[in-house]
Amino acid sequence: MRCYLDESYTIFSTIYANLIGLRKELADSLSSCRVLVVGAGGIGCELLKNLVLTGFKNIEVIDLDTIDVSNLNRQFLFQKKHVGKSKAQVAKESVLRFCPSANITAYHDSIMNPDYNVEFFRNFQLVMNALDNRAARNHVNRMCLAADIPLIESGTAGYLGQVTVIKKGQTECYECQPKPTQKTFPGCTIRNTPSEPIHCIVWAKYLFNQLFGEEDADQEVSPDTADPEVAWNPADAAARATASNKDGDIKRVSTKEWARSTGYDPVKLFNKVQLFKDDIMYLLTMDKLWKKRKAPLPLDWTEIHQLESSQEEAFGTGLKDQQVLGVQGYAQLFHRSVETLRSQLIEKGEGAELVWDKDDPPAMDFVTAAANLRMNVFSMNMKSRFDVKSMAGNIIPAIATTNAVIAGLIVLEALKTLNSDFDQCRTIFLNKQPNPRKKLLVPCALDPPNPNCYVCASKPEVTVKLNVHKTIVQALQDKILKEKFGMVAPDVQIEDGKGTILISSEEGETEANNNKFLSDFGIRNGSRLQADDFLQDYTLLVNLIHSEELEKDVEFEVVGDAPDKAPAPSVPEEGKNIANGNKDSAQPSTSSKAAAEDDDVLIVDSDEEPSSSTMEASPESSNRKRKHHDADTDATASKRKRLDQQPADDDEDIIALD
Amino acid sequence: LALALSRPRGEDNIISEEEAAQYDRQIRLWGLDAQKRLRGSRVLLVGLRGLGAEVAKNLILAGVKGLTLLDHEQVTEESRRAQFLIPVDADGQNQAQASLERAQLLNPMVEVKVDTDAVESKLDDFFFRFDAVCLTRCSKDLMVRVDQLCASRNIKVFCGDVYGYHGYMFSDLGQEHHYVEEKPKVVKGSNEANDGPEAKKRKVDPNETTMVKKTISFCSLKEALEVDWTNEKAKSSLKRTPADYFLLQVLLKFRTDKGRDPQPDSFAEDSQLLLQIRDDVLETMGLSSELLPNTFVSYCFSEMAPVCAVVGGVLGQEIVKALSQRDAPHRNFFFFDGLKGSGVVDYFGSK
Repeated sequence: MRCYLDESYTIFSTIYANLIGLRKELADSLSSCRVLVVGAGGIGCELLKNLVLTGFKNIEVIDLDTIDVSNLNRQFLFQKKHVGKSKAQVAKESVLRFCPSANITAYHDSIMNPDYNVEFFRNFQLVMNALDNRAARNHVNRMCLAADIPLIESGTAGYLGQVTVIKKGQTECYECQPKPTQKTFPGCTIRNTPSEPIHCIVWAKYLFNQLFGEEDADQEVSPDTADPEVAWNPADAAARATASNKDGDIKRVSTKEWARSTGYDPVKLFNKVQLFKDDIMYLLTMDKLWKKRKAPLPLDWTEIHQLESSQEEAFGTGLKDQQVLGVQGYAQLFHRSVETLRSQLIEKGEGAELVWDKDDPPAMDFVTAAANLRMNVFSMNMKSRFDVKSMAGNIIPAIATTNAVIAGLIVLEALKTLNSDFDQCRTIFLNKQPNPRKKLLVPCALDPPNPNCYVCASKPEVTVKLNVHKTIVQALQDKILKEKFGMVAPDVQIEDGKGTILISSEEGETEANNNKFLSDFGIRNGSRLQADDFLQDYTLLVNLIHSEELEKDVEFEVVGDAPDKAPAPSVPEEGKNIANGNKDSAQPSTSSKAAAEDDDVLIVDSDEEPSSSTMEASPESSNRKRKHHDADTDATASKRKRLDQQPADDDEDIIALD
Repeated sequence: LALALSRPRGEDNIISEEEAAQYDRQIRLWGLDAQKRLRGSRVLLVGLRGLGAEVAKNLILAGVKGLTLLDHEQVTEESRRAQFLIPVDADGQNQAQASLERAQLLNPMVEVKVDTDAVESKLDDFFFRFDAVCLTRCSKDLMVRVDQLCASRNIKVFCGDVYGYHGYMFSDLGQEHHYVEEKPKVVKGSNEANDGPEAKKRKVDPNETTMVKKTISFCSLKEALEVDWTNEKAKSSLKRTPADYFLLQVLLKFRTDKGRDPQPDSFAEDSQLLLQIRDDVLETMGLSSELLPNTFVSYCFSEMAPVCAVVGGVLGQEIVKALSQRDAPHRNFFFFDGLKGSGVVDYFGSK
């Protein structure tokens, strides 16, 4: 261990008394170096405080979010009076109050904005992430690789946390190891055979969008007659599948049109879908589904209200939201919320769409009611609004102390990094309980770069399996290059000897290509595409394998990827599943955690559904087509600005090597 | 905004809308019961330097009923730069008093009070009005005294300090600390005919959990610091014993002898003394000086802010756990080495 106090040691007695452990050169470099903090939330607030107290002078901080009351239990630089204001801006002001000599620049903006190019990143000696979503992490990872600036990455969820250091050429980058993707549920589970509350919640969110929001072909709520389980033989299933595609869901009108035609009559909705009667009765005719499962029990509006009402007593000592109502209660809640949402829609005018938001009470009421009614239909125990909100909103529980510990570790790693002591740098895991070797904080050696990494390898390459006759260019851009491979603005050309341009990042240039199939361009088995993201200074060669045998609901597969993991807990640290990832998805991000058998802990993306004060973009999910948002069109400066948001991911298992 | 400090004392079981909104993300982690217990707890925090400020922040954000900040020292430029609660123009004021305003603003729902007396001057019954006591920058004798008098009254006692890159916390939750742990519910497997080996395994339902009650006992600080290393059992466990334990003994002795912690101003003199104390302390214990190599001297001056954050985070969470009686407490020391990034929990004292 190198001794930091040698003959050239100079004692600081005045200004930097608490930097006594630092060599003079290091202490000096702290005051002159420039660092970037990406995110001013839970980790960000703690990190800014630690940085200035340690002696860092030049700090830039960026966050696109505004302050919400639920942040106040841990984001201590904010007070109630700041709710609605820019996090980066208020954080800066609060820090200056106890350290007026600090030089802080705040940006209320998305780090994915092309203004923050490689030259911007090169201004800094160190970048520290304090993020909560994978898309931004991927992006910053690439920018730091491109600029060759060390990056300290971190994450927390509940009691757990993790810190690691990324340095081009010396350590793994953030994308060297494939990360388990967001857990999604097959369409037939959502539409026909839900078996868990989460399936009903996802269904309810889909229903919201079908009725009030942006309709999406991947978010169907009506019974799925193309469900492979329904038919006895494959020919039958295929016939049904074709039938439904051709007629647009078997002669049913679109859910929204139908709803509009009834004037959004809650009773009619209730009895139809939607819900709860006609569509269920239709499901019952698909008798194969119910051979081994308990059959759903349809609900009828009038019948429910004739039942003796089992009213809840005064809710006692729990939170109001933690009550579980009865069927009548949820039927009434359904009724009220539909009426409120209907008025909201009317107010917005012709062609209006609502965006689901967990902090918008009628929207949350609607999902709570619809999900619970469906749970009841399928004989599941119903859930309180509190629990439904957790699952529907992908809420990650969070506390101040976990963030405080992680932010402390970040600065300690930062000091080593500035000294270029990369061999001293570590990945450090924070566990909830000590491991068998008594460690609560587990430092592990950093891994060298993965030579086959599709991001940091010298000539990154991947192989993707898809159906060239069924994949459209838009899907290649949105689902594969952006969502899967983390590009923000891809340019794609075909390696066909002619350099045919398939996708241009310039708005409008290749729009005509969007709905064409890849095969229309002569792309076939073995074709190669060159995809570039100039902002990220990233080129990826994509080898295509044509396949007609992909599973249902699977549009593509990356060959050589680790399989999607849902590790079974052997000794779970907490009984609950931690919901994480996926900011805007209608799909949830439940995951079970690998046990901390020895030193495994999971870095977590804590992606909440944003509140109405921050939300601008429409909800997205890994399963449906993504809306492209141009940040320049965001008119209201006080709201959250964002470019394409990608759904964040699941926990990753990391094995400690210590 | 009628609520907050005008709440009735004692068991009030209703969580207000404001609390529910503000504490939402932590209620979702440790549950409503735990939050209510926190909300009924009064804590004494002694010492408002780097570590103290971190603990204060963590407890206030968590939503305890009351937090008393006790410190008799005055703000100096050095102490002001060590923490984030004291305003820039507060030099010369009492440290706790200067921290009050910012501390209160962290969470108006907590009653934050100030006491400017020296903790040594406090009579026994002063401590009895609290549910938990957290001592930082205190002498060994004072800590032992307070621990003895509090633990018997079921007042939870915590000690902690940061010395340069190193930090520790100690807890004494009494002879019988009761708590609950949330465990996944074990459900019986289904009666499918062809279960095979699966049938034998008890199925764990990931969505349902149950609360399991547990009890655990702690020894006193005195016992923890006066381990007999001469017996064979203790000797054989030396290999797995963190050197930080002995470092702590050295630093506590230094504090007792000099009435202060090692200062950068007197680095040469203090480092000499530290080495001497190391030799004395280890010799008295019947142990070799090699257990604590000379290099330790370089890393234990002053309080490193990031180390305060780490130790303050762990310590703060232990206090929250103890007051809320939820989740297994660390037993009974936590040592953090900021150079290695390692944090270990270890037990010293009678089993």
